[in-house]
Amino acid sequence: MTNPFEDADGAYLVLVNDEGQHSLWPAFAEVPAGWTVAKTEDTREACLAYVEENWTDMRPKSLIEAMGA
Amino acid sequence: MAEPKKQSQLQDVWPLSPLQQGLFFHARYDDGDVYTAQLVLELRGGLDADRLRAAAETVLARHANLRAGFRQRKDGTPVQVIHRRVRVPWEEIDVSDRPDPEEAAAEIADRERARGFDMARPPLLRYTLVRLAPDRHRMVFTNHHILLDGWSTPVLQTELFALYLTGGDDTGMPRVAPYKDYLAWLARQDRAAAEDAWRAALAGVDEPTLVAPGAPEPEPGTEPGRVRRLLDPELTAALTARARAHGVTLSTVLQLAWGTVLGHLTGRADVVFGAAVSGRPAELPGVEQMIGLFINTLPIRVRLDPAATVAQALARLQREQADLLPHHHLGLADVQRLAATGTLFDTMTVLENYPFDPALEDGGAGTDLGGLTLHGVGGYDASHYPLALAAVPGERLSLRIDHRTDLFDAAAAETVMRRLLRVLDAVAHRPDEPLGRVDTLDPEERDLLLSTWQGGPQDTAEPRTITGRFRALVADRPDAPAVEVAGGETLTFAELDERANRLAHRLIGLGVRRDSRVAMLVERSADVIVATLAILKAGGAYAPIHESFPADRVQWAVDEVDAPVLLVDSATRERVAGISTAATVLVVDDDPETAAQPGTDPGVPDHPEQLAYVMFTSGSTGLPKGSMLTHRDVVDLATDGWMRTGAHDRVLVHSPHAFDASTYELWAPILAGGTSVVAPPGRVDAATLRRLVADHDVTGLFITTTLFNLVAEEAPETFAGLREVLTGGEAGSVAAMRKVLAACPDTAVGNVYGPTEATTYSTIVAMRDALADPAEQAPVLGFPIDAVRVYVLDAALRPVPPGVTGEAYVAGAGLGRGYLHRPGLTAQRFVADPFGAPGDRMYRTGDLLRRRPDGTLEYVERVDFQVKIRGFRIELGEVESALAAHPGLAHAAAVVRSDGGVKRLVAYVVPAGPDAPTAAELRAHAAARLPEYMVPAAFVALPTLPTGPNGKLDRRALPAPDLAGAAAGRPPRTEREEALCRAVADALGLESVGADVSFFELGGDSVTALRLVTRAAQAGIELTPRDVFTHQTVEALARLDELDDAARGLGFEVMLPIRTEGSRPPLFFVHPAGGLAWGYFQFQRYLGPDQPVYGLQARAFTEDALPGSVQEMAADYVGQIRAVQPHGPYHLAGWSLGGLIAYEIGCRLQAAGEEVALLTMIDSYNGLDLNSERREVLPELLGGIGIDASMADENGEPDVPRIMAALAERGDALATLDERSLRNVYANYANGIRQAEEYIPGRFGGDVLFFTAMRGRKDGDPGAAENWGPLVDGVVEDHPVDAEHHALMEPGPVRAMGSVLAARLDKLASARR
Repeated sequence: MTNPFEDADGAYLVLVNDEGQHSLWPAFAEVPAGWTVAKTEDTREACLAYVEENWTDMRPKSLIEAMGA
Repeated sequence: MAEPKKQSQLQDVWPLSPLQQGLFFHARYDDGDVYTAQLVLELRGGLDADRLRAAAETVLARHANLRAGFRQRKDGTPVQVIHRRVRVPWEEIDVSDRPDPEEAAAEIADRERARGFDMARPPLLRYTLVRLAPDRHRMVFTNHHILLDGWSTPVLQTELFALYLTGGDDTGMPRVAPYKDYLAWLARQDRAAAEDAWRAALAGVDEPTLVAPGAPEPEPGTEPGRVRRLLDPELTAALTARARAHGVTLSTVLQLAWGTVLGHLTGRADVVFGAAVSGRPAELPGVEQMIGLFINTLPIRVRLDPAATVAQALARLQREQADLLPHHHLGLADVQRLAATGTLFDTMTVLENYPFDPALEDGGAGTDLGGLTLHGVGGYDASHYPLALAAVPGERLSLRIDHRTDLFDAAAAETVMRRLLRVLDAVAHRPDEPLGRVDTLDPEERDLLLSTWQGGPQDTAEPRTITGRFRALVADRPDAPAVEVAGGETLTFAELDERANRLAHRLIGLGVRRDSRVAMLVERSADVIVATLAILKAGGAYAPIHESFPADRVQWAVDEVDAPVLLVDSATRERVAGISTAATVLVVDDDPETAAQPGTDPGVPDHPEQLAYVMFTSGSTGLPKGSMLTHRDVVDLATDGWMRTGAHDRVLVHSPHAFDASTYELWAPILAGGTSVVAPPGRVDAATLRRLVADHDVTGLFITTTLFNLVAEEAPETFAGLREVLTGGEAGSVAAMRKVLAACPDTAVGNVYGPTEATTYSTIVAMRDALADPAEQAPVLGFPIDAVRVYVLDAALRPVPPGVTGEAYVAGAGLGRGYLHRPGLTAQRFVADPFGAPGDRMYRTGDLLRRRPDGTLEYVERVDFQVKIRGFRIELGEVESALAAHPGLAHAAAVVRSDGGVKRLVAYVVPAGPDAPTAAELRAHAAARLPEYMVPAAFVALPTLPTGPNGKLDRRALPAPDLAGAAAGRPPRTEREEALCRAVADALGLESVGADVSFFELGGDSVTALRLVTRAAQAGIELTPRDVFTHQTVEALARLDELDDAARGLGFEVMLPIRTEGSRPPLFFVHPAGGLAWGYFQFQRYLGPDQPVYGLQARAFTEDALPGSVQEMAADYVGQIRAVQPHGPYHLAGWSLGGLIAYEIGCRLQAAGEEVALLTMIDSYNGLDLNSERREVLPELLGGIGIDASMADENGEPDVPRIMAALAERGDALATLDERSLRNVYANYANGIRQAEEYIPGRFGGDVLFFTAMRGRKDGDPGAAENWGPLVDGVVEDHPVDAEHHALMEPGPVRAMGSVLAARLDKLASARR
């Protein structure tokens, strides 16, 4: 069984939730509630590069706010 | 052939189409009704019977092929002989005065169906007109399938009733295209091109698509269950419009829908199923109006790319099918032979273009024929597929799912139907939806999967931080013991708090801040807990480094956590002496400054989302990855309902700190006000565990699967003082759990499962309940814990139904933050959760799980441990539990190795005591419990199984097996032997092999035999697979070229040498009714190298005459046996008829004064009326020569081409069996049955070893004791075998019988010594 997150040739999105957490997401699947598309359809590699570049603080937003950082 | 006279009866002689040949061949040897098709029509209104008869005569006159008789030429070639004039068999029966005319009519139809046809005497069809009332008739049309197929029925019907209207006059009707044209067309087709096309179409299909893998053969004569639906006109119209809009056929639409449903049923994204195709070549003029046999069953492959839209998928399927259209003439057997998997599917679809579904109830008006209306009543068309979809187009599309009721009950078939309808709805209305979004589940099913079977509500009491909870506990119970060190100090909550506070202040002074990491490498002691808590109090997160990490890995971890402080103790400080780090190295038990810090809480604010710890787990890239877990995650676990029963109030701390079991060991007790009992440093053994549990009133502990199994073996009572022992980490051993449950009646065993990323464990199950049923063999995983959700999803992220394997995703409570410094990896593994609250994430585990029908989760395998041998998916756990069941073994592990380029299953075993079982014993043991492909090729005994740092089995540390030792033998003497030795070694992936060692003793099988043939050919030596089976050693194979063809054609001789070597008296197996002894080849594996084995075979294969009686054969064979072994003691055995012959041989040898030391009868009975068995001729016969007895064509009829293909494909001794030989088997069989009935046995002076086939036994079937007891002087020792009579020569039963026989022969041999 090919995992939908492991398809090297597949089309992916990058989703972000309110906590600023990022998720790779196969383009064919419906975007789940509470998530917005941060990067539109692209290759897996490009999507992961986007995540590496943009998700620099992995703390959830609520914690970042609580810590006043 | 007779000289044609003018107006000879003989009009023409044609060859047979391949499909006709298949039917002809089988029909000659089988009783009628399987090949009989029937159409029953109800005729309402005034009927002129004579007109109808005249119409029937005209139909017969128009279609020459309906007047065919079938014969064989002298050379064996079948031909169809077309007669010039044939009268239609016509019978009229009036049942109107019967009490129940309906029933009478039904009986007539049944009777007609049961009556066979004489193949040689045309026509192979007949009409019976039953009069139920003056204006109600039933027309029963019965025909042999060889004449016409279901597609022809509507043509026939239309023509018949058109002719009825004209009174039989066909002047206005178009000329009939002759079937002969079709035969000529067939002969012109390019077979090679068709093979190429099919090979390409099936490329990459590496597994069959089976909804019922391992299903037994259907019981003969059972009718399938049927589930029907009539779509509403709107959906029908929408589907038709959809098909039209995309330029595809309705058939393609249905096939895509069925493929989608099949994908869900099997969890596969690339599925294959059968489809009945008309087989009528479009380029043949008038082909649609022909009445004849054209139908074929061909595989349909549907790739369910989740990203493809419905429209794209339709277009692709249509294109692929269109490309294959010119190649529909290839038979299914030929197509399957081209596929890598052999059998490709076990479900079928058929689009019936009947004008109405004859089996449907009288829906709507019938066809009107001048006052006469037609109504479908019934037809006979049994399907033997587990599931088959039939569709009948119309204003309302009619769907029918036929299901084998032994595999799918009516409710299950209904579920399949509902899923199909859901998919059809999507296809009809949402062409742009990606396939991955097409959901097939019912709302109720979804609810079960996503809600009911998930974790219950959580205790959400605040605070949700470790530090906050601890603070409250200190206030609540300052003097309660929080930490108890075995043989050392005890810390109360207040003392623990104070010490942790001082260290926390110290850490803050060294730069520890909120959410920063602190690396620690501290030996197990109270200090571990103090330091862990101190780090949290300082706002930081602990990052334990494993004590077994080598120096460079410690360096890497320290760098990775980027900590301001590295915590060590005086025992571990040396380990970090050499590393270079900017972090301050703090020795917790030797730091004067800490003592000087205040004992008050540093008051650092905390937050549930704040990091609590980082745990390193092995990563696929070779470097560990750090899982980040939060305060909330730890509180979620510690407050889970399962933890709060009192069983986890005093927990033993013995796991490495760097293993996430420590989360449970530390926090489950302490955060509940209980006590962590700290074991001494180092690994604990069973004795230490027992002492600690007893001395410290430990109530609960966690232990890895490997350690649990070890303790269960050595001292299962170790856990007796505990309220609950938790175990997990790997697939558990049911045997070990049972041992512990039995030895510790007051202790619960909890099986836990879950990834580190989701905090220690996500599911739990009480094994005492789960294993209450003695038949339970799986260490199930149970259900998710509080507020945890475990989804089992397919490749499109849809939940799979129970029974289907999918990948597990964990969501909800305990879900960690992600991987330290690895946002990309985190985004791949912690992904958006489509089923939870908005914005939730779920962790992709890489574990394959499935749910049972009651929702219980079961572990299947690791995605990346998926092993396959010879195309079979193997669950290593199954092999391991089977081996572990051997009383002589403590543990077993199985792995797939590829040493020398040959993939092999290798077992590693730890003997339970000094008397270790031999490899041969273990092989027999495994063979008795597992399918052949799951029996390890090699067994390696080890003192212990190697474990990794966390106590899990370290598969990579397992040594390679020494196969070379077994392969040693005498060196080759000639060039030819040398070449062959090399070929054998190559084929088996060995360094070298001896010239006198049997290929099969070295782990060779039917597949490697094929490889050997290829290797030998490359060396210029021609062998057939059968040569390999017959001659086995290089020595014997090398001699083959000296033999003439007759001698080389071994296999049909009366005395078949199976193994001629060995010093013991030989074992003679006598053939069953089919006449061949090949099935017995398999026994040699189990009987040891010193046991010669011979098979006696019927003379029918080498001579024309068939023997007259059992006595006659026995007399013949006694001579044969005495030529091999002049005097006793004799060992005899036989299956079925062979048992009777063996019995008679035994009696005769005794009468001659010889000793018969062993007489074995395999399910043989005397004095039976076997008439009722005749219909089982085919399955038994096929079973006898080792063919899957369910092999039959789309109508449930044996399919000669397919059987021949299957034989060829086997690559073993049977590969070269030709059609003539197969026929001989048939002839011999019929003869044999008669002989078995007539045989009257005499007295036998000795014991009988008997095997009874337990499956398929009916009430009143004789038992061995009652059948033979009165005839023999000795004891009838009866061994039940879990198989049907005709399946006794399948590998499983042979193994079971082989081990009994081996034990008996060993005993006889040692008694003689």
